[in-house]
Amino acid sequence: MAKIWHIIKYEYSRHVFQKRFLFSLLSLPMAVIAMVGVVLLMGVFSMDSTPVGYIDHSGILADPLRLETSGDIFDPLIEFRAYQDEDLARTDLEAGEIQAYYILPEDYVESLSVELFYLEEPGSGVQSQFRSFVRRNLMEAENIDPQLEKRLSEGSLVTVEALDGSRTMREDQWFLIFTPFIAGILYIIVVMTSGGYLMQAVVEEKENRTMEIVITSVTPGQLMTGKIIGNIAIGLTQLVIWLLFGWLGLVVGGYFWPVLQDFSLPANYILILIVLLLPSFVMISALMAAIGATMTEMREAQQISGMFSISTTIPFYVSSMIMMNPNGTLATVLSFFPLTSPITILMRMGFAVVPTWQIALNIVLLVIFAVLAIWFAGRAFRMGMLQYGKKLSLKEIFRKNVQP
Amino acid sequence: MSIIEVRNISKRFGQTQAVDDLSFEVQPGEIFGLLGPNGAGKTTSIRMILDIFKPDSGEISVLNGGMTEEKKNHIGYLPEERGLYQDISLERCLSFLAVLKGMDEATVSERLQEYLELFDLAEARDKKVKELSKGMQQKAQLIATLIHDPELVIIDEPFTSLDPVNTEMVKDMLVMKRNEGKAIIMSTHQMNQVEALCDRILLIDHGRSVLYGTLQEIQNSFSAREIMVTPLSDLPQTINGVKEILKLNGRYRLILTEDAKPNVILKTLINLGVELNEFEIALPPLNEIFIKVVKKQEGGARG
Repeated sequence: MAKIWHIIKYEYSRHVFQKRFLFSLLSLPMAVIAMVGVVLLMGVFSMDSTPVGYIDHSGILADPLRLETSGDIFDPLIEFRAYQDEDLARTDLEAGEIQAYYILPEDYVESLSVELFYLEEPGSGVQSQFRSFVRRNLMEAENIDPQLEKRLSEGSLVTVEALDGSRTMREDQWFLIFTPFIAGILYIIVVMTSGGYLMQAVVEEKENRTMEIVITSVTPGQLMTGKIIGNIAIGLTQLVIWLLFGWLGLVVGGYFWPVLQDFSLPANYILILIVLLLPSFVMISALMAAIGATMTEMREAQQISGMFSISTTIPFYVSSMIMMNPNGTLATVLSFFPLTSPITILMRMGFAVVPTWQIALNIVLLVIFAVLAIWFAGRAFRMGMLQYGKKLSLKEIFRKNVQP
Repeated sequence: MSIIEVRNISKRFGQTQAVDDLSFEVQPGEIFGLLGPNGAGKTTSIRMILDIFKPDSGEISVLNGGMTEEKKNHIGYLPEERGLYQDISLERCLSFLAVLKGMDEATVSERLQEYLELFDLAEARDKKVKELSKGMQQKAQLIATLIHDPELVIIDEPFTSLDPVNTEMVKDMLVMKRNEGKAIIMSTHQMNQVEALCDRILLIDHGRSVLYGTLQEIQNSFSAREIMVTPLSDLPQTINGVKEILKLNGRYRLILTEDAKPNVILKTLINLGVELNEFEIALPPLNEIFIKVVKKQEGGARG
């Protein structure tokens, strides 16, 4: 056991404490932060809190109640300035004192139409704040209960429910649609990182010709176990750090966009996520190790493993078809192909009720494939370990006599 | 008690009989030479001893029984295919290989320091292995083989790429290990090193044992009935029992007749009044024995 631990530690520290790894680890969150930053900056630059004027012929805004907050820090509270006549307002508009002015006609309550004058079109924030401002005062004039007013202005919360009641989809659970995509992308990056490192670790053992020394110190099983665990741990480190960034992003973002505070994933969803992704993670890692064991050079190994990465991403290419018909033939077929199944299932779960038997069968299949892949990798490894500079064919791996 | 007991092992790869009914023993406190031409089955035999391959038939006992994980901690192996992790620092590479031999990290760092200084590698400890010269890598590989103070050392061509100073140092170290009671199996083509170091040898060819015994016995049995003498004055033209007299740099090589005995020749020389500085029964160099035996095998194989 101590030796396996040393191998895990060696494999882990060999990559994790390298500049290259830290760079790839931080590049994703940094890219996201940079993107969000650009969006924020654009928002800040388009922000204009110059007052807006209005001329009220209807009398609703004669003694107006002011809005207290705008509800969004990127949409600062705008001062609405009353003008008695249009000429004054126009003079101020031309002088840049106000950015626009509204005219409420006498029959506003019946027609509900307003006129807006501007030199440069004001942002959507101005319009929505003015709408709230008028609505607020209109309701006040009609003596409507502020609670009711709030409800009315927020609209209704639509809940879509499956006929069998097995699944509901609420408008404020938008994240259930995005989660499979984000989880899928993270999963692929993590699997490919771990798998790639693992493959490299096995190929290097051959390239460096260290196999004989290592094999006379530990068993091939110990070596392989240590390598697989060590490299999976690298992927998990990456994942945990990214999730931390994501969580931090939600917490920080929640202050700016309250809608992010709705984010929470149901426990059973997380559970399915884990039971689906973990065996397929192990399976792909073991396959990568097997490729490493049969190939003699990193370049060749990378070419073959590229095919695996492409297969894994197929669900993304056909995501629109899966979304439109989540229980259709294509979606069902892809959810039973071991390389594409975890992501396909997650996507389908975002849009429809996936039959429980399919999920259960898939988990069982993935576990079986993971075990087979480990067995295959172990065999390929034992066969290939001393064949320096010689490729190993599939036929040789499956040959009966495994002992070289 | 033997460290290694090999009984009638055979191993076949496809059409090739790599090892054919081979038996030998290695004792503690000896340097055992495993010799043979290329492709004779030396590496295969070593790999079977180390449990990398299983023999098709026959039995191997290492450190008193079959190979176990625990025993691997008491074996040091310098394989023919040299290899170290190239992309990491020398110190990390050697520490990792040492902990895999079951050493705790404190002992490793302590002993590694000693060995790096001994092999004059202390300054290179932070360099990447791939930046080291061939000779330095060879020394590093020897450290990896010996650092855990193994009971059984198996080394394949330990002196390649070493300069004369380091060669002497490694030889001294091997002798020291032998004197400590460790068993050392050395496979090499450098016959002068075998003559200098080995107590017993096994010569294999085509997977079969062709010579096995102490170096002394083997050389005696191949003795070509020759005597080296260094007289103070000239030798007489003819000596009873001597077929031929060859002069080489002030020394003489006397080739004896079939029935002559070296001590009789000595007596004859003394009776002839020759003053001697040196009288030595010439043993054939191992190199010659090697070539002779292997050629005979090939002749036999052809015939």
